[in-house]
Amino acid sequence: MVKKIPIGPFHPILEEPEFFELHVDGERVVDIDMTIGWSHRGIELLSEHKTWDQVPFLVERVCGICSCSHPYAYVKAVEDLLQIEVPERAQYIRAIVAELERLHSHLLWTGLAGHFIGYNTVFMWTWKYREPVLDILEAVTGNRNHYAMMRIGGVRREIPVEEIPNIRKMLDDLVEKNKMLTGAIVDDPVIHARTEGVGILDKKMCRLYGALGPTARAGGYNIDARRDHPIDAYGKIDFDVIVCENGDVYDKAVVRQLENFESIKIIRQALDKLEALGPGDICTEIGEVPPGEGIGVYEAPRGEVLHYIRSNGGNMPMRHKIRAPSFNNILTNEYSVVGDTVADAGLITAAVDPCYSCTERVGRIDRNSGERWIMSEGDLIRMSQEKTEEIRKMMTGK
Amino acid sequence: MEREEVKKRIAEKFGDRVKIDQPSEKRVYIYAEKESWLDLATFLFNDLDARFDTGVGIDDRGGVEVLMFFPYDKEHYFVTIKTYAEKPYPELDSISNVIPGAKWIEREIFEMFEVRFKGHPDLRPVLRSDTRPEDFYPQKRENKDDHEMSRIKNDGIDRYNEVTGKPPEGQNP
Repeated sequence: MVKKIPIGPFHPILEEPEFFELHVDGERVVDIDMTIGWSHRGIELLSEHKTWDQVPFLVERVCGICSCSHPYAYVKAVEDLLQIEVPERAQYIRAIVAELERLHSHLLWTGLAGHFIGYNTVFMWTWKYREPVLDILEAVTGNRNHYAMMRIGGVRREIPVEEIPNIRKMLDDLVEKNKMLTGAIVDDPVIHARTEGVGILDKKMCRLYGALGPTARAGGYNIDARRDHPIDAYGKIDFDVIVCENGDVYDKAVVRQLENFESIKIIRQALDKLEALGPGDICTEIGEVPPGEGIGVYEAPRGEVLHYIRSNGGNMPMRHKIRAPSFNNILTNEYSVVGDTVADAGLITAAVDPCYSCTERVGRIDRNSGERWIMSEGDLIRMSQEKTEEIRKMMTGK
Repeated sequence: MEREEVKKRIAEKFGDRVKIDQPSEKRVYIYAEKESWLDLATFLFNDLDARFDTGVGIDDRGGVEVLMFFPYDKEHYFVTIKTYAEKPYPELDSISNVIPGAKWIEREIFEMFEVRFKGHPDLRPVLRSDTRPEDFYPQKRENKDDHEMSRIKNDGIDRYNEVTGKPPEGQNP
């Protein structure tokens, strides 16, 4: 008998509201219907009523976590239309802020993922380690989020010279902690049992569904906008793109963990360059924006973000299209959730990093009898602990 | 696949039915009539091995211009295909049967611009709010032109004048 389980749309620990309707037969998910747009704010339309220089402030509010990636893609789109290069110093400052953002976003996800599978130690650890990254961002930009660093033609603020040793020290500390964390994830039998072979999205499906970022790279689909469409400093910096093979939740976690090391590598190189360059311009003056169109892409923590702008020669964009990576990635759930169990569905949907978990309130409706019952938070925690205990017994044989 | 190779193969297969333009090294634009739109997208995705990224609709009063982006990652450039669906009934062939990843973006373009994608498996609005009238398409030019800015807040005071720069009535500026 097929039952429907509604999950969402609003949820206390969510970053964003989404609604998943799981069609389940026993434990197996046989179909899924997803609804997004619960907090549609019409930012594309708002942006068409803002001047070119005001738009970065608007688009960084698209996402509180990627509040550097969206303005970055937008300014690149305008710079693509204007065909200008930004000063070298600004390029490295952009890379530093953007990579710090990736670090804090990946750490945030790892913590949440730990929480979703009932492993709250990981949650506490990672969020503790994430704090220094946010502190550095605050010292550099003035804010923990919404940095307002990007500006057409360059950046808005200089990175103060006296901050550079602090950033280096934070990075040194973070490398050690990230190593420990990666070890804890890779060696843990419970995490292996809970995430390996779950929600597989292979290379072929990644391509068909247009998966992006860590979701695609975990499945062996080797794309990274930083390397593939190099912007600014990324063409001059040496870093590796982390690619796994299986495309399950475990690989998605590993890709993100290892990417943290690459981000640290990028920030260190950019800091070296910044020190070597010495004081200089951080912004080019731009004149009028001519009619035309431009595409800006940047690899946000969750995948490639694309901004398309069209100008008719006025002081505002005539059309501004924003495509966030989750728009493509959430659609992949259509493939990866089906066939897995209900218990895994929350984890799989969370693994693409919309940070969605279904594990706090679940309402169940029997379609045939119309009977409905709601599980409380306590019920779900108990169920999750029982399952963890079961897995532990299975793995250790005790 | 190299840029010149892609341009050559498209020109060979489609001949006069497409127009190819290259404004910069990293951008190739291909304009297709809506009859050959689906063939072009299929050819790019299946035969020329492009990745599908996303789409955009742009309303210019006479119709809706629809763009789809096909990046070539190894060669660092974007191919953008364009077509035009005339009003009053903008209609295009759906590419989501070939590329499942295009499902949502087609639904979004339908929802925002009323472009009907023929053959789409499930053309429901994707972002809609429950309170929006069914025949209201927010990004259509007609709706934008008619739209009067309303700034009535919870306190019941109309703030339109504040937005437009006029001093509010009955109060000392």
